[in-house]
Amino acid sequence: MISARDISKVFNAGRPSEFTALHGVSLDIRLHETTVLKGPSGSGKTTLLALLGCMSRPTTGRIFLNDREITSLPERFLTEIRRSTFGFVFQQFNLIKGISALENVMAPAYPTGEKFSLLRRRALAALEMFNLEKRADAKVEWLSGGEAQRVAIARALINNPTVIIADEPTAHLDTRLAHEFIGIMADLKAKGSTIILASHDPIVYDSELADRVVEMRDGQVVSQGISA
Amino acid sequence: MRRKGKNGALLLVYTLVIFVLASVLFFTYALKREAALVLKDAPEIIVQRSQTGRFHPIPVAWGESIGKINGVISVRPRLWGYQYDSVFQANYTLSVPAENAPPTGSIDIGSGIAKIRDASPDDIIAFTGHDGFPRSFTIREILSDESQLLTSDLILLSEEDYRDFSGLPADQAIDLALRVRNPREYATIAEKITRLHPDTRPILRSEILRTYDALFGWRSGLLIVIFSAAALAFVIFAWDKATGLSAEERKEIGILKAIGWETSDILMMKFWEGSVVSLTAFLAGIILAYAHVFLTSSPLFAPVLKGWSTLYPAFRLTPFLDFGQISALFFLTVVPYTVTTIVPSWRAAIIDPDSVMR
Repeated sequence: MISARDISKVFNAGRPSEFTALHGVSLDIRLHETTVLKGPSGSGKTTLLALLGCMSRPTTGRIFLNDREITSLPERFLTEIRRSTFGFVFQQFNLIKGISALENVMAPAYPTGEKFSLLRRRALAALEMFNLEKRADAKVEWLSGGEAQRVAIARALINNPTVIIADEPTAHLDTRLAHEFIGIMADLKAKGSTIILASHDPIVYDSELADRVVEMRDGQVVSQGISA
Repeated sequence: MRRKGKNGALLLVYTLVIFVLASVLFFTYALKREAALVLKDAPEIIVQRSQTGRFHPIPVAWGESIGKINGVISVRPRLWGYQYDSVFQANYTLSVPAENAPPTGSIDIGSGIAKIRDASPDDIIAFTGHDGFPRSFTIREILSDESQLLTSDLILLSEEDYRDFSGLPADQAIDLALRVRNPREYATIAEKITRLHPDTRPILRSEILRTYDALFGWRSGLLIVIFSAAALAFVIFAWDKATGLSAEERKEIGILKAIGWETSDILMMKFWEGSVVSLTAFLAGIILAYAHVFLTSSPLFAPVLKGWSTLYPAFRLTPFLDFGQISALFFLTVVPYTVTTIVPSWRAAIIDPDSVMR
């Protein structure tokens, strides 16, 4: 269980550009389920995802991961949790340019010090899962949108995370590729992964994949419930 | 290699800077060493005569009285001088060697003279003497290149030819060269010579070395200017690197943090990246500088630095590397550069990883 208790996030505190992205949000996310954060742009979905994924700290409030309070942990521990527990698929995919698809997939595991040959084999297997083995050596700039996203998913899975976080995953995909993405996530969920998605795309929040939909607006949770 | 254009340009500029800095270091050091090696066999004391402060030939007979001073092993009158060649607008150095002097009518010439006069052994070559009449000489040999620095413009000839050519009377010499065994006696002997012949001026070898050092020191002063310019270029280059991190690089650091890299992992990666560029440029620069100075006779510096006449000695310096200097260069370039690549990365790496999500 990932729990957020009364969390707020203020950017540029004390400056004229001060902006409160989240106001006292409380939320429970159950493991092995898919939770979709739904809402318009600027509703705080991405900020909440970043906080749940240990990418930043809330200004106030606390976050618990399996009853362990993680908000006050030092940076090193947060990084360790981020690396071992979460796999991220970013809106822009955020693949590192200039290196191959395979190297991108391997990147999150480099700091673990895993033996290179072993890591390479695992990364190739991850690419194979998405039928990308032939594109392993291709530079990421040469990949199509769908391929790039699948590489981003393979990268998110390389450290065997228990939670997969994806921010607006279908924003840059056409309908066919969006359905393909939902299919991939459904497979991962079936294998036991916890999935947290932020999206304002009906293909995502109306899909069978979504177990719970949390609706957000103006930095607050306006409703949360079991998906229809 | 990623970012081929940027890293390629970086490597090129860096290599160029190291090349110039290392060339200057190699060149000045080798030059001083060369001069010191050549002068190693110079006489311990040279006695010149001066009249009201101006040079004057010294009577050969004075050598006898000076030779009787305790500690003096031998005294040799020396005959030498300079000859201006108006046709080729070059200065030559004339000298009568102590041993193996050419027979009368023959001369040995330095490689520089042979080159500009297009002369080879057995050729006949003419020079205008003190009375305005030319003298012809047969070239016995071209002096070896081993001591090029001081022999390039040299003409060796017999005593008889020298006196005929210069008009110096038989009882006079240009100076006296003394051999003295004990270095601690140099000053005492010099004092005794001055007492014996008040119008003489004894010159110690250490003073000659000092003069050469000052001469090459002055020349290396010019190089210091080049050195400073190159060093300044390096500082600007490193500063630019230190303050500038492209948006792409910043984003990349953000991505790495977001996918689970620690700040220390990123700094380590940047350190290795900087080290690879630094070390490659350093090694390439050093190798190029070595080739430039020791294999191709420093074509970029030579006209300014070598030879004192219009005749530039085309000589090859003895390869000599001072590891102290190389390590100084290493610590003044590679280390600061590597540090400057880390600083901006550190600044970017301490930001929250969620920046890539916004």
